[in-house]
Amino acid sequence: MTDGWNIVVCVKQVPDADDVTIDPDTGTLNRSDAPAVLNSPDRNAVESALELRAAVGGTVTAITMGPPVAKAVLQTAVGAGADGGVLLTDRAFGGSDTWPTSLALARAAAELDADVVICGEESTDSSTGQVPPGIAAHNGWSQLTYVESLEPRPDEGVLVGKRDVEGGYERVAAQLPVVVAMEFGANEPRPAGLHRKIFAETEFEPVEWTASDLGIEDQVGLANSPTKVGGMDTASPVERERVVVDSVDDLYEHIEEVV
Amino acid sequence: MSVDIEAYEDVWVFVEQHDGVVAPVSWELLAKGRELADETGEDLVALVMGDGVSALAEAAVSRGADRALLADDPVFEPYRADPYGEQFRALVEERKPSIVLIGGSHTGRDFAGRVAVPAHAGLTADCTELDVDDEGLLLASRPTFGGDAMATIKCPAHRPQMATVRPGVFDAGDPTEPVTDPAAAVEEVDVVVAEEDTLSTVIERVVGDVVDITDADVVVAGGAGCEGNFAPIEELADALGGEVAATRAAVDEGWVEPARQVGQTGKTVRPQLYVAAGISGAVQHLEGMNDSDVVVAVNTDPNAPIFENADYGIVGDLHEVLPELTALVRAKQEVTA
Ligand SMILES: Cc1cc2nc3c(=O)[nH]c(=O)nc-3n(C[C@H](O)[C@H](O)[C@H](O)COP(=O)(O)OP(=O)(O)OC[C@H]3O[C@@H](n4cnc5c(N)ncnc54)[C@H](O)[C@@H]3O)c2cc1C
Ligand SMILES: Cc1cc2nc3c(=O)[nH]c(=O)nc-3n(C[C@H](O)[C@H](O)[C@H](O)COP(=O)(O)OP(=O)(O)OC[C@H]3O[C@@H](n4cnc5c(N)ncnc54)[C@H](O)[C@@H]3O)c2cc1C
Repeated sequence: MTDGWNIVVCVKQVPDADDVTIDPDTGTLNRSDAPAVLNSPDRNAVESALELRAAVGGTVTAITMGPPVAKAVLQTAVGAGADGGVLLTDRAFGGSDTWPTSLALARAAAELDADVVICGEESTDSSTGQVPPGIAAHNGWSQLTYVESLEPRPDEGVLVGKRDVEGGYERVAAQLPVVVAMEFGANEPRPAGLHRKIFAETEFEPVEWTASDLGIEDQVGLANSPTKVGGMDTASPVERERVVVDSVDDLYEHIEEVV
Repeated sequence: MSVDIEAYEDVWVFVEQHDGVVAPVSWELLAKGRELADETGEDLVALVMGDGVSALAEAAVSRGADRALLADDPVFEPYRADPYGEQFRALVEERKPSIVLIGGSHTGRDFAGRVAVPAHAGLTADCTELDVDDEGLLLASRPTFGGDAMATIKCPAHRPQMATVRPGVFDAGDPTEPVTDPAAAVEEVDVVVAEEDTLSTVIERVVGDVVDITDADVVVAGGAGCEGNFAPIEELADALGGEVAATRAAVDEGWVEPARQVGQTGKTVRPQLYVAAGISGAVQHLEGMNDSDVVVAVNTDPNAPIFENADYGIVGDLHEVLPELTALVRAKQEVTA
């Protein structure tokens, strides 16, 4: 593979966690109030994709599934250095759980002839972490999750990932194509270059694909999602004393009552 | 696409093991699975995969499983997503479980996300409550948006109904009365994967003992405010006979081993006393400690959110407060000794 790898990076637009509120009357989330941002773990995915491109050559294409405004996260990825972006947008995708979401991303990655798909560890809004293994499963590709660092071996058609596992780590050699989920905080995401950022915001236009472009219009959306949110309850907050004491002696007395 | 849901029955628990050692979360889920199976009137089935692990299948029976399915082959050691996934797919197709519970460890989440897709199963992540309704439908509840809300997720038209649960959320309980012949309830299944068809190779595995902080009565946790010096945390934990824990920030810095991380992507602890020192109180951290009886906070910033989530707090430098506290604890111990 002299012309390098086709690297696809999955980026998700999420509400800024600090600004989501719960509607006290309906118990539902007011996501619309919150400004939408790039899922912060996906910054590690983008950085990792750019590092991989530097090591083996090729291209980095960012993809996102979401409403038209999700274009913003593709702009962020392109500003950081991605070569291009694809926006999967269609009303048919609405209400998708992780099964159809990973199907759409899997089909798009296959369409892009991906060698490596890089994702974040999990999203900050629904935080399932199920999409990266889901993409791999839909395509029958190998997978590497909770990855701390990557070591490409282009001559062997293999990507080695150092994975964080219970009690230590392991290094796993995965055949291409492979889906990677980078561990949150695994690297230091680079800031966007000024010129690249201007390009991303003024000239860059993503490629847009609908569900029927991907041939999956009958397999996505709420109707094709196995999980259904059956109800949302406002959780009763834990009651705490919230006593602030002035001296360590006072603090000690409270601790002594417990132990 | 929906399935004939009547054809699916039984509650399965995936018994995660590495090198013949079972991840404690698997026993926690087996205890929870027992309750669910009793409610639906179905069998509780332990799924054990590995190489030379029949003793673990028997242990699962002794811990309350009605039966155990054992896939025993060198291809299953160490864990890899693709052979485990392929074997699971074949078993689900053939045996049709109604509910499958999987630990929310890195391994469990790697596995669950992969196997839910070919099964076209609904998979709910990070559940903190599991129940069944009148029709035997699994009600999987998970906190969302920093614990402000609980979403209950159902899977009405698809099977199996799958859920992952983080370590420490449920109690493992004690093994039930010894079973006379546990081996009789273990069924060895056909292995459907061959090594040459696998897509990955584990070239190195470096793991030590994994500490389990989830049962501790006292937990002393440190965060970024420790600035690399965890000695005050360790000494107070030692004096109180508790376990050391940490935020993800402290773990990422390498100051503390990952098994001690408390929070959404770490462990859930419910000690009598939780001391949070140099910890700001991010929602992802609070999620793992909110069930503690009494929370004590030490932080230099009076506006740190941790004070809103603590019973007793002191505004101060942990490098001064904790050693003083440790000295008081030790002094008291000497008097009573
Ligand atoms: C309260 C609530 C709870 C939910 N719980 C569940 C549940 O338990 N099970 C379930 O199946 N669904 C659940 N959903 C639906 C879930 O929001 C969607 O499936 C979601 O779009 C994808 O899952 P995630 O955000 O958890 O992705 P994760 O798997 O956490 O994301 C990991 C990585 O995958 C990539 N990725 C994920 N989504 C996209 C995207 N749209 N575009 C590009 N890249 C992406 C990113 O790289 C991301 O870092 C829930 C929704 C809500 C509102
Ligand atoms: C997907 C995802 C999953 C996550 N999962 C987890 C998780 O499981 N667990 C977790 O903990 N976090 C998790 N996080 C990270 C979380 O959002 C916070 O970043 C993290 O908890 C902050 O850790 P901290 O409180 O140690 O650090 P900081 O937020 O930096 O706080 C340090 C605190 O120490 C105080 N301080 C400084 N010096 C001193 C001193 N000398 N004495 C006393 N106090 C001092 C400061 O005032 C400050 O309040 C996750 C994040 C994401 C995006």
